Amino acid sequence: MTDTVVDDSGLDDPSFVDEAKQRAEGVKALARREGWKRRLPILPALIFTIVVTQIPFLFTLFYSLTDWDISSIDPREFIWFDNYASLSNPGEKFFREAAWVSVQMTVIAVLGSLFVGTGLAVLLDRKFLGQGFVRTLLITPFLVMPVVASLLWKTQMFNKTFGVLNWLIESLGFEGIEFASRFPMASVITVLIWQWSPFMMLIVLAGLQGQDTSTLEAARVDGATTFGIFRQITFPQLRPYLELGTLLGAIYLIQVYDHIEVITGGVGTKNLPFWIAQRSIGGGNLFGLASAYSILVVIASIIIANVGLRVLSNLLEDDS
Amino acid sequence: MARSLMERVTRAPKAEPILGQNRVVARLLAILTWVVGLLYFFPLLWLVLNGFKEESVASGDPKLFFEPTLDRFSDVTEDAGNTLSFTDAFMNSFWVVLISTVFVMILAVPAAYALAIRPMRMWRDVLFFFISTKFLPIVGIIMPLYIIGRDLGLLGTRTILIVLYTAMNLPLAVWMLRSFFAEVPKELIEASQIDGASLMGQIRQVILPIVAPGLAATALLCVIFAWNEFFLAVQLNSAGAGTIPVWVNAQQQFQGQFIAQFSAASILAIFPVVIAGWVAQKRMIRGLAMGAIK
Amino acid sequence: MAEVRYEAASRIYPGTEIPAVNALDLDIADGELLVLVGPSGSGKSTALRMLAGLEHVNEGAIWINDIDVTLKPPQDRDIAMVFQNYALYPSMTVAENMGFALKQAKVPKVERAAQVQEAARILDLEEYLDRKPKNLSGGQRQRVAMGRAIVRSPQVFLMDEPLSNLDAKLRVQTRTELADLQARLGTTMVYVTHDQVEAMTMGHRVAVLDFGVLQQVATPTELYHQPKNRFVAGFIGSPAMNLLDVERTDGQFRLGGLPIELTSEVGDAAAANSGTTFGLGVRPEHLEFVSDDSGVNGEVSVVEALGSESFLHVKVQHEGREELLVVHEAGDTAFGRGDNVSIAINGPIHMFAPDGERL
Repeated sequence: MTDTVVDDSGLDDPSFVDEAKQRAEGVKALARREGWKRRLPILPALIFTIVVTQIPFLFTLFYSLTDWDISSIDPREFIWFDNYASLSNPGEKFFREAAWVSVQMTVIAVLGSLFVGTGLAVLLDRKFLGQGFVRTLLITPFLVMPVVASLLWKTQMFNKTFGVLNWLIESLGFEGIEFASRFPMASVITVLIWQWSPFMMLIVLAGLQGQDTSTLEAARVDGATTFGIFRQITFPQLRPYLELGTLLGAIYLIQVYDHIEVITGGVGTKNLPFWIAQRSIGGGNLFGLASAYSILVVIASIIIANVGLRVLSNLLEDDS
Repeated sequence: MARSLMERVTRAPKAEPILGQNRVVARLLAILTWVVGLLYFFPLLWLVLNGFKEESVASGDPKLFFEPTLDRFSDVTEDAGNTLSFTDAFMNSFWVVLISTVFVMILAVPAAYALAIRPMRMWRDVLFFFISTKFLPIVGIIMPLYIIGRDLGLLGTRTILIVLYTAMNLPLAVWMLRSFFAEVPKELIEASQIDGASLMGQIRQVILPIVAPGLAATALLCVIFAWNEFFLAVQLNSAGAGTIPVWVNAQQQFQGQFIAQFSAASILAIFPVVIAGWVAQKRMIRGLAMGAIK
Repeated sequence: MAEVRYEAASRIYPGTEIPAVNALDLDIADGELLVLVGPSGSGKSTALRMLAGLEHVNEGAIWINDIDVTLKPPQDRDIAMVFQNYALYPSMTVAENMGFALKQAKVPKVERAAQVQEAARILDLEEYLDRKPKNLSGGQRQRVAMGRAIVRSPQVFLMDEPLSNLDAKLRVQTRTELADLQARLGTTMVYVTHDQVEAMTMGHRVAVLDFGVLQQVATPTELYHQPKNRFVAGFIGSPAMNLLDVERTDGQFRLGGLPIELTSEVGDAAAANSGTTFGLGVRPEHLEFVSDDSGVNGEVSVVEALGSESFLHVKVQHEGREELLVVHEAGDTAFGRGDNVSIAINGPIHMFAPDGERL
């Protein structure tokens, strides 16, 4: 019987026990050092981010507890939560209006671009002559800087005198419309959707191209219609991609500023970032009050983010 | 999913599209797609055309055919006294974007390594933290940034934009790079360790060749977002080191009157990023999809 | 050329209670081909990786040639490893892949090229030296992985299921080549597989693991004929040994009613054991069909006719349950599905105590 040969003779030898203890310590030390070696590379990025984003945030918190007006010579005083309390003032309906604009703008723009983007992706998800070229055309609006896109639409599409849309409308015999002033929200949202649909398109395209061909073929063999297949097989598979697109789109679209500034100058389309900027560094100078508002916006964002991060963690779960 | 995401996103569309089994339907759909594509692109096409027109032509009835001229371009690029000139704005944008992107990569690559290849214990939480900073609305910190900038004398300098753009793009870069690094098979790195490679050796000889396309895609996205950024540039910087978006916006006073001139300015402003995006399209799509989905 | 020793080595993953590898004691002689075999989750790969330095050794030690390598990183152990999916560097050619380790060791270019050439010759890879891994077939990639290991002339070869990704035919062919190569080079090799046939045909000795615990380490013959416990008995041998629970009735054990004769040793050991449910094992080739009814009666349910031999699965009644006995016949069989047969024992039986240990 060949058992392994273990030299038991030295087991009780104190030097042997020490050796074993040393080794165990050595392994623990190694594991600890390894832990630090793993953490070290991320520290620069982490520290940088905290210093540049979190520390200013603390300042904002501080400002929000004061009545600071940077244009006045009066000294800045602590007024604790008065700024927040003032929100219940009927006069502060502007805050609520701005919040409502933010919600509208974000939701419509995100859903709109998701819808359009999905449509574009479905059209693009096939082999045809010049597929690459058309795709190039379609992603360009996303690459264009928002300032240019906004100006472009404002002066060349929407404009009453020079706009192409109006030229079309007038040729058909109708009265021209100055879109940017008549329909400010719609104008801004149109440009947002125009710019962000390509982004959604790319995400959905990745999802479409990741489909399992065999499942689709099986469904066809089983006699499903095109719509049926889309509804029951493709769409459920697309869900994580759609959710991701929504999340990423929302992150950026909540903070829209450029388009508003350029297209309407704020008329009828003041969302929270725009409005708060106006009240503070944009000339309002009421740093204290505006800080309180932005804290509220941050709190709301955190709540939304938690929902979003739960979606994200589902996606990350699949990864691990 | 058996195939890697990289493979999935970059190979040609599969033969079984959703719509149109029928040859006629397929042909019609192809035409429809072309029409949609052209219509979608039309505003940009119009912009490009207008840039080459005489002002009078541009402000008249829309014309597709005309005599092109380069005069508008020279109009917008000539030095306009003490307002921001094109050359200045371009140089400002160029340096700010270049340096901030380099900083982003320098910070994000090790971070991605720490999150993907030798993951630290709480890597998911750290990744969440980075992503959550993107949820922080910029208004939440613009005021302190303004004050700090003012007190440090950084308003109107390139420096403050470089720092802020780095912070702005860092979460995106960390997220995307992490997913690219995660694609490197663990055994490959283990094999290189057994073969005697030091840490730098592993990174340089094994990891970098595999993630290089991903690095390029990430850098490109950072360049795009930084180049196009307007809010911070105009709030913190317009007085001194204005960037291209600020310059383009300043041309706005010519709206209505000088459409062609504005168009020429716009073309100059978007030209670099659009061309870069076109050229690196496939890489970027791969990068966006991968970074986004994983 | 080296001896390898696992000394009460354990690997406990942080956050878990049960060790993946539990106090493994294993001595491997210089030049030996030792196979670590076991089902998935048995800890065999983990044990190999501990030797490689890719897993921390939480308790115990690992020795290569009287040097304690427990705390040393993989780079310092002078070992070579072949991974299950080969882990070839995708951006390098075959030659560069094979020369990589030598490059890390700062071997001059000329010498490197010569060694790579030699290894390529041994493995018949000379015409592929300039190709990249993606342009190679599975079998070719496997050989490049081998080449990468050979070129280094390490102290120990570590193989982590190197043949699992090959198709069956190629696997059998490569298996012999591998064993031959090891014999020629004379380098100690530790080989992990889940395929017990591979283990039995290749290993000088085979170590069977289950749930991180070493069950038995012995030559293939010994494992086959004298399995130390029920697990090893059931794991080694294809098709598997017939293993049944038996109750002791009137101091005797019966197989489907047929009394079992025990040797005096085993009989004494059984008598000394106070348990009730024992294990009875008998290999298919130690059962035969008898033409009278003197054996265990049953009905044939499945016939596997392989040409050189046949295996018949027979349903029998044993202690009130229906059990399946696999019987071996040389060449073709006369019986078919549904036939009634009678089975007798014509070879050694293995008795196991209620705790699984051999009696």
